[in-house]
Amino acid sequence: MSHQLTAPHPKFAVVGHPNKGKSSIVASLAQDDTVQISDTPGTTIKSRSFPLRMDGEIIYELFDTPGFQRARSVLAWLEKHDVPAHKRAEAVEAFINTHRENERFSDEIELLTPIMEGAGIIYVVDGSKPYGEEYEAEMEILRWTGQPSMALINHIGENDYSQEWRRALEQYFRIVREYDPMETDPQQQVLLLESMAQLDESWRVPLKHSIVLFEGRRDQKLEQSAKTIAHLVQSMLSHLEQFRFSGEDVEDTDRQKLLKNYQQHLRALEQKSQKFIEQLWSHQHLQKEQESLLFEGVDLFSKESASIFGLSRQEMVVTGVTGGAVTGAGIDLLFAGHTLLLGGAIGAVVGGVGAYFGFDELSGIKVLGKTLGKRYLEMGPMENRNFPYILLGRSLYHLHKVAARSHAKRGAVTLTMDETFKEKWLDDQSRKSLEKFHKRFRSGDEISSGEIQAYEALVLACLKKIV
Amino acid sequence: MNLRSYIDLYQLLDGHALTHEENRAFALKNDLQAQSSLRMLLAWVRAHQNSLSSPAQSAKFCKYLYIVSLVLGVLALVLGVMTGIGLLSYSGKEPVNLIYFLAVAAFIPLFTMLLALFSMLRANQAQSLLIHISPAYWMEKIVGFFSQEARAALSKLTINPLLLNWLVIKRSQLLALLFAIGLLLALLGIVATKDIAFAWSTTIQVSPKQFHTFLETLSWPWSSLFPSAVPSVDLITQSQYFRLGETLDSGMVANAARLGEWWKFLACATLFYAIVVRFGMWLLASFGFHQALKESLMSLEGVERLLFEMNTPLVTTTAPKQEIVFAQEIHQYSRVLQTVDPHYKTTLGWAMSKNDIVILNDSMQVSSECVFDIGGTNTLYEDEKIISGLQGEVLLYVKSWEPPTMDMMDALLAIITQVDKITLLPTGTKEDGYIPTSRELNIWERKIQTLNHPKVWLCRIN
Ligand SMILES: Nc1nc2c(ncn2[C@@H]2O[C@H](COP(=O)(O)OP(=O)(O)OP(=O)(O)O)[C@@H](O)[C@H]2O)c(=O)[nH]1
Ligand SMILES: [Mg+2]
Repeated sequence: MSHQLTAPHPKFAVVGHPNKGKSSIVASLAQDDTVQISDTPGTTIKSRSFPLRMDGEIIYELFDTPGFQRARSVLAWLEKHDVPAHKRAEAVEAFINTHRENERFSDEIELLTPIMEGAGIIYVVDGSKPYGEEYEAEMEILRWTGQPSMALINHIGENDYSQEWRRALEQYFRIVREYDPMETDPQQQVLLLESMAQLDESWRVPLKHSIVLFEGRRDQKLEQSAKTIAHLVQSMLSHLEQFRFSGEDVEDTDRQKLLKNYQQHLRALEQKSQKFIEQLWSHQHLQKEQESLLFEGVDLFSKESASIFGLSRQEMVVTGVTGGAVTGAGIDLLFAGHTLLLGGAIGAVVGGVGAYFGFDELSGIKVLGKTLGKRYLEMGPMENRNFPYILLGRSLYHLHKVAARSHAKRGAVTLTMDETFKEKWLDDQSRKSLEKFHKRFRSGDEISSGEIQAYEALVLACLKKIV
Repeated sequence: MNLRSYIDLYQLLDGHALTHEENRAFALKNDLQAQSSLRMLLAWVRAHQNSLSSPAQSAKFCKYLYIVSLVLGVLALVLGVMTGIGLLSYSGKEPVNLIYFLAVAAFIPLFTMLLALFSMLRANQAQSLLIHISPAYWMEKIVGFFSQEARAALSKLTINPLLLNWLVIKRSQLLALLFAIGLLLALLGIVATKDIAFAWSTTIQVSPKQFHTFLETLSWPWSSLFPSAVPSVDLITQSQYFRLGETLDSGMVANAARLGEWWKFLACATLFYAIVVRFGMWLLASFGFHQALKESLMSLEGVERLLFEMNTPLVTTTAPKQEIVFAQEIHQYSRVLQTVDPHYKTTLGWAMSKNDIVILNDSMQVSSECVFDIGGTNTLYEDEKIISGLQGEVLLYVKSWEPPTMDMMDALLAIITQVDKITLLPTGTKEDGYIPTSRELNIWERKIQTLNHPKVWLCRIN
């Protein structure tokens, strides 16, 4: 009973010709990376609902639909019934009822059903290809439904025919907008939602609400990301790795094993954090295909990682980060080769992973007590002064890639570096503030929650510079 | 809220990750939003405790803690009684020096309470050194050493050091309290069963007057309640004792009955300093422990997330149902031409104007007897009419960038019935010089594969 008292939530059906990016637009709006998107026309075969829910309550509902396949036949059927203008919607209804079991019109039935159930129409075309007369039949059918409608021009290719499209679309639709599903700019989404709100007076409030929700959710994601990264840095820097060894003296192989375990543990922490962030930004399906979204072959402890994300010698001097032997001349050498890396996949350029950080360069190794005949080697906390910056750089880069990735994109993420990345998030001021905390994390002391929060705020500030 | 909720929460967060959905649903279902964070957490723990494998770590730990406390408590009580008996042992030769008893009943408790206060202030430091001087800490180490199982259970838990500090502080107070009770019991027991001559003796030059002032100060808490429990100057003068004489002062012997008076003072001193004040310390420690528990609970890893999830409205946008995946087997289409023939009986254009077709013919250097446009804005009837007149070999231009629709396929099927051979020629846009991309050609090739008719050919020019 109660649902009859409240107004039904707004619905929108994204419709159009096959293969023009309907599913891409839906995936981008709904931030759903599971939507089937491919360059084969007819990828979508069933209408699918994408409700925006807050605590289970639907704010609005979006429908992805298959493309028109036999628009002319449908229109012919409708026109044959020669009805006055005010009865046209009933004719469409009749069409659906008559052909519900008809395989021939399954696509049209699928796409018309949500519209006849009250959905507003979002008609999608590709503005990078010329307008064609074959679109008229489907636009005419949409007009017959009598539902409020708007058109979206998507640009799948390079060329631009949006002027001729606009002229044609404005004949049929009151609102014509452009939308790029590959773009993750939140402003674009807000503009689209605002246009959708104009379709019907009663949809304004829920769509305003949805804008507030989206904006709040984005802030939350940023905040949670900053927390995750801050926590990662803190736990990595303060990590202690122990290794029990037998025998009287410490063998070199024992040290090797300890180092390996230490590095392995830190790598695992990084990966866990990255997965969490991918999930946070609704990109969890990427990880199914790849171990980690990024950094394939660019190990946490590699030269390339250090040279791209770490501080230069000069920056370290300025920040007062130089830790004597800990950060040596290697950095200079590496930075001399930096230009080599630009624009290319990093992994391919530099080989020799793992040589850069030796034992002493990460942390000293201590031999611990001799209780009951057991002896331990211990490594940690992280002493390398550059390491936190490398880690932060990698984490922010990863976040930046994840946050900027459209949910309409399919396929692997490409790793292209440019040298300006570090400049974007790290300046002298923030470096100095960060260093204070890194020093605390290295100290092995208990870190208070107040300190953690202050560090999170710093990371959030850095993060906002790039996302 | 108790230690069990802390350990349970620790374990739940460690191993049983619930989703945002579940946590938010839980908060909504139990109407928790308006509640304090602590209440939310406790409600959450209570609801999920059962999912922990039983016996839970917390149960094990608390059982261990209880047993250790019980053993230590009994030990402390017995120790108190023994100490009391030791201090009051009276051979009949020498009077009992009440200063020793007073030291154990009042001075040492006061001093240790001061230390305890100090360690309470410092308890927030992870490594409070003062903890290590606590008897509870060491006795527990000893007990723990003997119980393998308890040690194993403990080693798996990393309890917040702050909480552990308070746990030790609180228990130290309890043990000291039990010790003091033992002491008092011993005093009362001995007083009831023996006559004891109390005396005081010191090397320091203290006049009875001064000593009286001192004792009077000590006894102000009960002086108005039990005036008889405050020693008088007379009593003090009479009970001063010098060992030099080898024998008892005759005055003391004469007043032996009065010397017993002291017990009231000693009992009150024990009751007040060792028991009442200690009880206050215990209350303070309990309060501190409670606060520490609250703080540790809130700072457990994962709590912030859990609270966030319970407090934040769950916004979802994704489709609730899995999508049906469209799949097509891909084979090479066998009827593919790389060049276009120079002459056709008819050239057709799908959804383009006659003019476009003529231009395309020109640019492809194709000649034909007739040119027709089908599809597009034509009615189905118009198309039917054109198709029924077709024969021989036909060339059909299609826009390569547009997807092959079923509308087009319907027309193709109709055409097949009329002609000997039909060649589809996808062409690109005018701007691209009518050259299609191979991606577009692949799409067309895949589409006519579904028809797989011997009369249908595809011309790939790119
Ligand atoms: N570069 C680029 N490619 C796009 C854009 N929008 C869609 N595409 C691509 O166009 C192809 C078709 O996109 P879909 O979203 O599957 O199109 P659709 O309209 O849902 O197609 P059907 O479900 O088959 O009707 C995919 O390969 C997309 O990656 C865009 O804005 N830019
Ligand atoms: Mg689709």
